Parts: sequence; C-alpha cells; structure tokens
Amino acid sequence: MTPPGDNAASDAGDAGGPAGGNSNVVRDTNQVVGDTNEVVRDTNQIVGDTNQIVGDTNQMVGDTNQMVGGTNETAGSRGGAVARAVVKCVVWDVDHTLLDGVFLEADGEPPGADPAMVAVLAELSRRGILHAIASRNPPAVAEHVARVTGAAFVAAECGWDAKSDAIGRIADHLGIGTDAIAFVDDDPYERAEVSFARPEVMVLDPEEMTSAPGWPEFSPAVVTAEAARRSQLYLDRQRRQAAEREFGGSREEFLRWCQTEITIGPAALADADRLAELSARTHQFNSAARALPAAEFTGLIAAGEAAGPPPAAEPVGVGTAASGPAEAGFTPLIAAGDSARVLAVRLRDRFGDDGLVGTCVTEAGPGGWTVTLLAMSCRAMGRGVIDSLLAWLIEAAARAGARELAIPAVLTPRNVPLRLALVAAGFRASEAEPAGGSAGEAGQRRAVFQRAIDAGEAASPAGAGGEAGAGGEPTANEAGDGG
Amino acid sequence: MVADRRQGKAGETGPGLAGSGLAGELRELLAELAGRPELRTADFGLPLFGAGIGLDSLTGTLLLREVHRRYGVDVAAEDLNLDALASLASLASFIETRRR
Repeated sequence: MTPPGDNAASDAGDAGGPAGGNSNVVRDTNQVVGDTNEVVRDTNQIVGDTNQIVGDTNQMVGDTNQMVGGTNETAGSRGGAVARAVVKCVVWDVDHTLLDGVFLEADGEPPGADPAMVAVLAELSRRGILHAIASRNPPAVAEHVARVTGAAFVAAECGWDAKSDAIGRIADHLGIGTDAIAFVDDDPYERAEVSFARPEVMVLDPEEMTSAPGWPEFSPAVVTAEAARRSQLYLDRQRRQAAEREFGGSREEFLRWCQTEITIGPAALADADRLAELSARTHQFNSAARALPAAEFTGLIAAGEAAGPPPAAEPVGVGTAASGPAEAGFTPLIAAGDSARVLAVRLRDRFGDDGLVGTCVTEAGPGGWTVTLLAMSCRAMGRGVIDSLLAWLIEAAARAGARELAIPAVLTPRNVPLRLALVAAGFRASEAEPAGGSAGEAGQRRAVFQRAIDAGEAASPAGAGGEAGAGGEPTANEAGDGG
Repeated sequence: MVADRRQGKAGETGPGLAGSGLAGELRELLAELAGRPELRTADFGLPLFGAGIGLDSLTGTLLLREVHRRYGVDVAAEDLNLDALASLASLASFIETRRR
C-alpha cells in the first residue's frame, strides 16, 4: 500500500496516523506483538500523549480521520481502541532481513540487499523515519549494509547480547522512547525476546514490513523539510560531535568555530506544519506537554500578522554576534497589545542547516509577558539555543518595559532539561493547580516559572551564554526532534 | 538531627565535612559527564549554575539521571526549583537526607 497524497503521506513526527481507523490499528498491533494484554497495558501508559496527537492529526489532515478522532479524543474510550505513536526509528536485523543471506557465511562477496527491504528503507527515509541496525555480526557489517541498501543508518549495534538491550542503547543514543521504535527480524526467537523484554516496541517480521508503509504507524500526516532531511541532519551531527572531540577549547569556543548561527524571528504561515511537528515531537524542551495542531499555529500567526507587519528575523547566535543577543539591529518582535506572537528559532552552522528547531508563543500582557508554549528540538541541545532564546526573551521583555516573564509548564519526567535551562536563566517555579487550564490535562503536575525583569536587562541579558559557555559532551541526543 | 545539621551546611560544606565523600563522588561524576577534567578540583560550594560551574541543561540532565540511578534519589521529582543543584555540597546533602 502506498499512502495517499502528500497531505496524508508522511512525517516521522506526528503520532497516531489516520489511514484505516481504529479497528485496523488494533488488528495490526495485535498481529505484530501477539499479546493483546501487553499491547493494551503498554498503550495505556501513553494514553495522554496519544490522544492529543491523534486529535491533532485529525485537524491537520481533515479528511480520513473522523472515526479516529471520534473514539480517541477522550481517554476513557481507549479500552479496546489502541493507537500507537508514529514510529521514529526502525531497528533492523541484517542476516536474512536486510540482506539476502548471511553476512558471515559468504565465501567471497557478502550477500546483497533484499530488494523489497530496500524499497521500504527508501520510502520510510523519505517520510523522516530513521533506520538503525541491531545485528549479531562484526561491526564491518554496518558499512556493507549501508552500501548495498543505499540507506543511511544512524546507529549500528553489532554484538552478541540481547537485541532488546541493543534497542535500548539505540533509543538512548537517539534520545527517543523505545515506544517510538519498530524492530524487524526474520528470527522468531529474536522477535519473541524483544516482545517480551520491551512490549512497547513494535515487532515485525520482514514479510510484514513490506506492507508497513501503508500502516498509520509509519504514515506521519505531514513531511516537513526538516523531517525529510532527518537522516542527513543526524549525520551532520555525528560529524559535528567527532569534530568536538578533536577540538581543544571550551564548548563556547567550539560553537564559535562551528559558526553557529541562531536566528529568532516571527513565524510565517508556511512554518505552521513544522511548528506543529515540533510541538508534538519534542519532549525534553517542551513546556506544554501537548501537541498543538498546525491550524492553531496558523490562526496565531495570521492574527499576529494582522496586528502589524512582522519585523525581520535577527541573529542572536553564538557565532555571529559575540555571545549575547544584544545587537544594534534589535527590533521588538513582540509589542505591547499583541494578542500573541509566534516566534521561530532557526539554527545552522558549518556542518549543516538544522532549519526550524524551536518555537515560542508569547503574549504581551499589561504587566508582563507570558510564554504559553516553548518547544525546542533536542537536536539543538548543547548548542546554545535554549539559553540564547531565554536570554533573548528576557532582553526583549525588558526593552518592551515588561516587569515579569512567566512560563507556565506541565512538569513531566522528560522535560527536566527545560527546567534546568529555566532555573539557569533565573526563573523560579511555583506549583500551579493541576486541573483545568489550557496547558494540559487534569491530573498533570503543573508549575509557573517566573522571572522578574529588570529594566537594565534591556542592555545586558543575565541569562546569556549559559549553555553555550558550559562544557560537556553532547551525548544525550535525539533523532530528529525526538527529545 | 543529623539530617538537619547537614542541610544547614548546604552550599557551604567544604572538603572534610560530613558528606564530602559523596560530594567528591559527585564532583568526579560531573567532571566526567561534562568532559571537563579541571572540575575535579572545583570547590564543593561553587554555584553549579551561571558563572560558577556553568552547568548546562544537557550535563545537568545527565547528572540527575546518574544520581537517580546510583543513589535512588529522583531530584527532579522532589525538588521543583532544583535548589539541590545550588552546589555540589547542597546536592550531596539532598541525596544524603533521602537515600536511606
């Protein structure tokens, strides 16, 4: 099955795909994991996220999904209707899966690729889904497989321990949850081992994998430019990390040497899909813990543009401006009286252009500014972006005469990095009532991070350079945005 | 009592005081995670954020994860403002009072 048109086709980012409705999802899921109880239990753990995301997908695609939305939008209805998150990375076995034979048994040239799997690899890559290898072979197998399949593999675990452990290491390496991983192996023992040890992983045999591109789990609603280049961005990052290991100086010096450019500007209507993707895919630097649909971003951006012509984007970054955002050409992107402004944060350096990596939605109230959404791809982690953005917000608020900056946030086990960045920039949190409000669902732990703004900060932002100035190896990572 | 005394010293505990063994472990851990060997001699009272050690969110995350794994203390869950991360000494005190 080929997915429908561009609209419904793809993007590794968004979860809970449309095509087919709930009954299909349930059937597929049971087939691949083989144990309904496991599946239901596992899916209940991600109930909140999935509901939100499925709901959003409906609004974005708008046609085929009424039935999905109808049954999934309320958490209580999930009992029999389970939808998985969209797969972010496929972990592949090699022998008799990607290869048409056994690597080590070859007399001369090792076996070639299975053509059916080559087609699947290419199609999923196009949708922004990553590929990795877990193989009981020497490490040389990875290079051979990449060559004969023509695919890019962002991680390779070659060794003789349990494949469920290899999957855990790959997920850690990419900074994604194991529930966003699919595992393909021709060996029933390996599949059973992974199913047992990691029931959240979608486990498939190669035969099933040939039809997987037609399944919702592999059919993101939209493919953004960033998603389509995800493998390349990941390879850029590996080159950057290798260079950093060789580099003698501090992190900040390294970022300068990389010619890191961080640009903050008003989001355009064309950014809406990518912003929705960021809000859905990012977890470590996400204040809202819920996905905003593209339509909501479109509305906010349009309202902002109606309020006045958007000023030009400005570089705030590590490599271009010294280390802080204070630049002569500073323009107030956010004016008092704006209902909301959507900002887009872009990142590039000498290794590549990461594109749109972060966003925040800011409302300028009479006394202070409120950031109703802050989301950043963890691909940008360790590269000075979050600290530059916070420093920029503080400075912009100060210039606009705001006395306070407030960032309401849902507290999750995964967005601790955001809390660390906020605390480092001088924010203090107070716990908020868990129920109601727009930032999350009832029962979620919520807090408001606040920071008083001093008029003097219009010139020299206090939060500048925190992340950029600190050391540390960028080892906690993410696949695409997955963090 | 013991716990109170240690908490009282948070932020200023130097080498040789109660918990410095743990603080020393944490300092080794931090130097390793940050890839900055010079931190092996950092003062236990030096602020972790900002001009002191300049803890970034990436290293901070790795540190909290490792603390949870080694000592069974989930700092992020228990400490909304992450005040435990004021310094290595305060982090050691926080862990000491909770890990048993």
